[in-house]
Amino acid sequence: MTTYSKQEIILKAENVSLSYGDKIILHDINFNIKNIVRPNMTQGQVVSLIGRSGIGKTQLFKLLSGLQRPTTGKISIYDSREVKPGDMGVIFQNYYLFQWRTVYQSLLLAARQNATLKGKEKDAIEGYASHFDLKEHLHLYPQQLSGGQRQRASIIQQLLKGSDFLLLDEPFSGLDVCVLDKVVDLLIDVSLADELKTLIIVSHDIATAVAISDTVFILGTTKGKCGSTIKKEIDLIERDLAWKKDIKKEKAFLDTVEEIKSLL
Amino acid sequence: MDYEEILTIHLLLSFRHFEICEKIFPINLLNLPNMIQKIFSPFARISKQTFIIMMIVQVIIALTIWHVGSNGLIPSPIKAKMAFLHLLTTRQLWDNILVSLGLTLKAMLYSIAITLFFAYLSVIPFFRSIAQFIVKCRYLTLTGLIFIFTLLTKDGSQLKLSLLVFGIVPFFVTSFLAVIINIDKQEYELCKTLGYNNWQILYEVIIIGKADQVLEILRQNFAISWLMITLVEGLSMSEGGIGTLLIKYNKYNDLTNVIALQLVIFLIGIGFDYLLGTIRQWLFPYTRITRMETN
Repeated sequence: MTTYSKQEIILKAENVSLSYGDKIILHDINFNIKNIVRPNMTQGQVVSLIGRSGIGKTQLFKLLSGLQRPTTGKISIYDSREVKPGDMGVIFQNYYLFQWRTVYQSLLLAARQNATLKGKEKDAIEGYASHFDLKEHLHLYPQQLSGGQRQRASIIQQLLKGSDFLLLDEPFSGLDVCVLDKVVDLLIDVSLADELKTLIIVSHDIATAVAISDTVFILGTTKGKCGSTIKKEIDLIERDLAWKKDIKKEKAFLDTVEEIKSLL
Repeated sequence: MDYEEILTIHLLLSFRHFEICEKIFPINLLNLPNMIQKIFSPFARISKQTFIIMMIVQVIIALTIWHVGSNGLIPSPIKAKMAFLHLLTTRQLWDNILVSLGLTLKAMLYSIAITLFFAYLSVIPFFRSIAQFIVKCRYLTLTGLIFIFTLLTKDGSQLKLSLLVFGIVPFFVTSFLAVIINIDKQEYELCKTLGYNNWQILYEVIIIGKADQVLEILRQNFAISWLMITLVEGLSMSEGGIGTLLIKYNKYNDLTNVIALQLVIFLIGIGFDYLLGTIRQWLFPYTRITRMETN
């Protein structure tokens, strides 16, 4: 088993609920994400929120990103500061980018929001673009890119902005097997870029989400109550299912996937 | 040459045109029933060649109906064509066109400036009601406001300009507000995730993001201002303009020249429509890409 330790809390959701009028969407959402430290390496966190379609994952996604305020409770980061728009990098399900800006212009907008990149925006953009194989496409508009290219551009944009948190809404949706593997490798690369880099993936693709994550939260309904909540937290590190290549072949992995399916 | 000789020459020339067109756009006669069926099917896609042929046939049918329907009062297409060609050679026409175009372009510039001011500020609650009021002003008729504007302006030129601007702005504001209301929520959310404040969002999403729509609104509403020219120029005829010319020809029941002048007005309108569309695509290349994807 890999050596690791869980240190300070970097994100906390306390008694979060969301309702629209009388309709309860989410209730009693409580979870923490801690900084995982592995000796002699940079290791960020990858957390998945798994649930059926229509269970409220996107609503929780919006609460985490600060785009929407919860009806009750709060979501805070680091030093108990309540999350607000701009704290989190957000990659929408359709990898939206401004249609009137070229990829380079969109990335420059994000880089200019990052005080640590002042004067070095161009170099940072070119660095990321080379790393994520987008250098030839910087002068194009989003409408001229493939879905995969837009996804990478979207991720780079949020990385340039400098957020430690990256929220991804259904990043595996509609991808074929080859592209899926590339996306998984890309996300792993991002999680290893910085100690505090935390990816929060909202998905209904159980197998891929479990394969890439160190923690999984399962969102579902409970008997006798309206709305959804976190039904279970699965620590994949404790189960020795985190940070491994070819994990999908292991029996423990398949058992975990079945367990999650039964909870849904 | 008498009328019948002119008609015969005209028909022969049309037939010759058709022969030349057939060489450029060859028609496969065996495919004709299929083509005709497609033309009358909803959502059917037809080739550019078929579309052009269809348009030519429609124009020929329209001209034929006009020719058959014309009597002593309503001039025939040939007479209108001759009057049109003659009109093009007169200095009077070009002088009046320049006057009208100058007035229209001035009015458009003022109108766009006023429109953008109120439309951009419409996202601020204080100005929203003002923008909504301007939208409703499109139901006001200019005729009832002539006296008020006469009192407020110092000469005929200012009067015409003010009336035109007042007539155009409500339509411009209506169009642009519709653009703002239909902004994709994700544009707004992306700005939020980048840490923009509300003023930065206004700048990025509306001022920069919808700049191409300004030209599109200009193009769509140019027809309204062009339409108002005849009304407005009739109020102060001393400076001329094609509206003045049209009123003069109407007054003397010179329908041949009225139709010829209408054709001039029509062609100028189409020319501006094309020009504004082209400028939009040149200034904002991403609009070309969206159009290609739609096609």
